[in-house]
Amino acid sequence: MEGCVFTKKDYQSELKPIWCPGCGDFGVLSCIYQALAAVGVPPHRLAFLSGIGCSSRIPGYTTAYGFNSVHGRSLPMAIGVKVANPELTVLAAGGDGDGFSIGGGHISHAVRRNPDITYIVMDNHIYGLTKGQAGPTTVPGTISVTTPYGLSETPVNPLLQVLASGCGFVAQGGTHDLKGLTKMIEEGIRYKGFAFIDVHSPCVTYGREEDQSKELKAKSELLADLNHDPSDKIAAYRIAEEYGKKLYCGVLYRKDGLTELATMHKQVQKNAKAAGDYPRDEVFKRNFLVH
Amino acid sequence: MATAQRLLMKGTEAIAEAAIRAGCRHFFGYPITPQNEIPEYMSKRLPQVGGVYLQAESEVSASNMLYGAGGSGVRVMTSSSSPGIALMAEGFSYLCGSEIPAVVVNIMRGGPGLGDIQPSQGDYAMCTKGFGHGDKHAIVLAPSTVQEAVDLMALAFDLADQYRNPCVVMGDGLIGQMMEPVTFPEAPVKVYDKPWAATGKPPTRKHNIINSLYLDPEELERHVYHLFEKYERMRADEQRHETFMLDDAPPVVICAYGTMARIAKTAIRELRKTGVKIGLFRPITAWPFPVEALSGVVQSTKVFLAVEMSMGQMIEDVRMVVGRDRPVKFFGRPGGVIPTVEEIIHQVKLLSN
Ligand SMILES: Cc1ncc(C[n+]2csc(CCOP(=O)(O)OP(=O)(O)O)c2C)c(N)n1
Ligand code: SF4
Ligand SMILES: [Mg+2]
Repeated sequence: MEGCVFTKKDYQSELKPIWCPGCGDFGVLSCIYQALAAVGVPPHRLAFLSGIGCSSRIPGYTTAYGFNSVHGRSLPMAIGVKVANPELTVLAAGGDGDGFSIGGGHISHAVRRNPDITYIVMDNHIYGLTKGQAGPTTVPGTISVTTPYGLSETPVNPLLQVLASGCGFVAQGGTHDLKGLTKMIEEGIRYKGFAFIDVHSPCVTYGREEDQSKELKAKSELLADLNHDPSDKIAAYRIAEEYGKKLYCGVLYRKDGLTELATMHKQVQKNAKAAGDYPRDEVFKRNFLVH
Repeated sequence: MATAQRLLMKGTEAIAEAAIRAGCRHFFGYPITPQNEIPEYMSKRLPQVGGVYLQAESEVSASNMLYGAGGSGVRVMTSSSSPGIALMAEGFSYLCGSEIPAVVVNIMRGGPGLGDIQPSQGDYAMCTKGFGHGDKHAIVLAPSTVQEAVDLMALAFDLADQYRNPCVVMGDGLIGQMMEPVTFPEAPVKVYDKPWAATGKPPTRKHNIINSLYLDPEELERHVYHLFEKYERMRADEQRHETFMLDDAPPVVICAYGTMARIAKTAIRELRKTGVKIGLFRPITAWPFPVEALSGVVQSTKVFLAVEMSMGQMIEDVRMVVGRDRPVKFFGRPGGVIPTVEEIIHQVKLLSN
């Protein structure tokens, strides 16, 4: 199948998404199909991991080998897959709650290991699946079922956080611009290393009016139009600082050639091969047995 | 005194209100179905009574917030459902080790793994025997009606303070979601002296550190002996149970708790109408298991039937008490499927064949 041309259809499973009509995640799914087709990833060479949430249902709607795994654990799971099978193209996805709240501690460690994984967060600024509780990126003042007097906590800034961790690919998009989002995901998949894409994907059922597609469009600007240089980290920080206020879409930061988990892994395998068929028992005896 | 008002409330909301009336002013949690109404209710009500509701970033975090707040001497609780409770095992073990009172409500759902969001009793073993690492125990209360859930919430806070140990209230999704009339007890909140609490150190007070670390094994051993002296007192004084239609010493006794016991009662009433002599033994404390009371029933019983919304977890405790002299049969359905009255009747008929 390698060298074949794939189309969107090749990545579509028979499962029909059960998202609410109008949910932003439909758009993200369609962009992922397109991006995979553009890169030409054979569906059987693709692993797609997610946590739990409305957004985390996404692997099931593709033909990839997938896990709808544990709430907050898509990245440890994805790293496990990548380490065990470095030849696979690995995607990880989930919601803002999944990624930045319960799974928040995992991101900087995934970045540190820099596995070749593309991590797409469908950031709807709310807990969709559990019916509308405020989450880590919910805007202060928001009235929700668990913030009846208005949320008083400051949201996390995922872009700043991921940049500061040293991530070599940081992008932001929204479902108001599917073409741009597709390109971004495609670039993320092609990028060698950990690619992080924060996608503003509206929850039409529990989300705020201000976070719906129409409003996203109004506050969005393309980084390409601003002549942003993605190799300029300080400029990237400045853009990231605007998270939640303006919506700058595109690749904020890109740095190639970082040490990568898969490369290290391959090197280890190579070393092991070079060492030849040294009997395992001998190694064991030499290292561990006390004579 | 005016009779207390009867209110129609959903189980989850009644549990939350009962906690507030028991003096709980601090709640830490993380959303998970089917118990979201507890945090939602708390987020609304606690600020009205000068309390604090805080959504943690995860259940691991919530369980440690519990540790912190409980350690500073206030009445504190969290609630969650099975997968979230599993994550709270960390904090729970430390609460036991450091002797910090707190109340944890588990509205169980189907498992293992993510399972489903239907009512289940699949966490009996986790709650009674495996809630966190180390040598420790905690009282586990299992209500079978919304009213009982209300009553047991107040008791849970008292037991937690009395023994300086966390206490679990183990319900299932059905008790959480069901609406029933309830009356809130009017008894005043019991206040316990907490000289150990981290409330600041005036010159008059001894220096005190809350800790569960004892590097010297003999010192840790002494500490665990001390904990177990408490657990022995719990075993002696806190076993609770209910019997239903056991007065005429029926040959068949169903053992069931929580929602399952309710359904079993209906089945027993039906069976009694057709002349079958049968009764129910219902543990209210899943730990300490009501060993004494169940032992007293063994002599007159020919066969026990454990009925659970699981593949059989409580049955191990029943078997431990009953021993090999009497058969202990099992009927249960896992995965959030609730055994019906008809199914129980059918199982009882199979026993007599
Ligand atoms: C350990 C654990 N805690 C809580 C839950 C319940 N839960 C499932 S999804 C979710 C959050 C969903 O929000 P988000 O990740 O933003 O995804 P969305 O539904 O908004 O796409 C929660 C709290 C769970 N499944 N497991
Ligand atoms: S609840 Fe919100 S996030 Fe979930 S499917 Fe519906 S619109 Fe999408
Ligand atoms: Mg979300």
